[in-house]
Amino acid sequence: MTIETGRLCVKIAGRDAGKKCVILHVIDKNYVLIDGETRRRKCNIMHLEPLPKKIEIKENADHSEVVAMFKKLGIELLERKPREKKERPTKVRKIKKKEATEERKKKEKPKKSKKEH
Amino acid sequence: MVSGKHKSKTYRKVRVKTPGGRVTIHYRKRKPGKAKCGNCGKPLAGTIRERPYKIQNTPKTKKRPERPYGGVLCSKCTRELIKSKARK
Repeated sequence: MTIETGRLCVKIAGRDAGKKCVILHVIDKNYVLIDGETRRRKCNIMHLEPLPKKIEIKENADHSEVVAMFKKLGIELLERKPREKKERPTKVRKIKKKEATEERKKKEKPKKSKKEH
Repeated sequence: MVSGKHKSKTYRKVRVKTPGGRVTIHYRKRKPGKAKCGNCGKPLAGTIRERPYKIQNTPKTKKRPERPYGGVLCSKCTRELIKSKARK
């Protein structure tokens, strides 16, 4: 069982361990691009267990193509929705209040000096 | 005088500096043993080693690695188990 594009594999390591995937692109002698039940990601060959089955699939195929191929095998993939970007609440500085406290301090200081006399 | 239960080794001693500057000895219960792999018996990495009352308040992701059989089997044993399942 060689490692080539279209080879079905099982991921062994990490949080996707035990899930099936397809090799989409062989990056170099250590790394491949995978997709399927796992997330679409770069993966070390040492973290894959190749299976005897091979799928006909293009190099660097889209996720939608991978979903269709997995459906033929009888594996339905969960839909992944891209995260919607939410606007983060920005902190608004309360400048007016700060000024007010500073003014108070200025007022208080001369009073203290009077007491010392 | 130390009370009888504090003479045994079931408690560990912790030196605590009091507000008055005196160093006193406080007695605390010992930590439980390390979590071990169910297959090979190796101590597990990424697991928490605390008394239950402290584990209760820690988040789930800090208690065990986020992987199938995480916190039960070591990484080496899970790999071999998944491999053997895939080869069947």
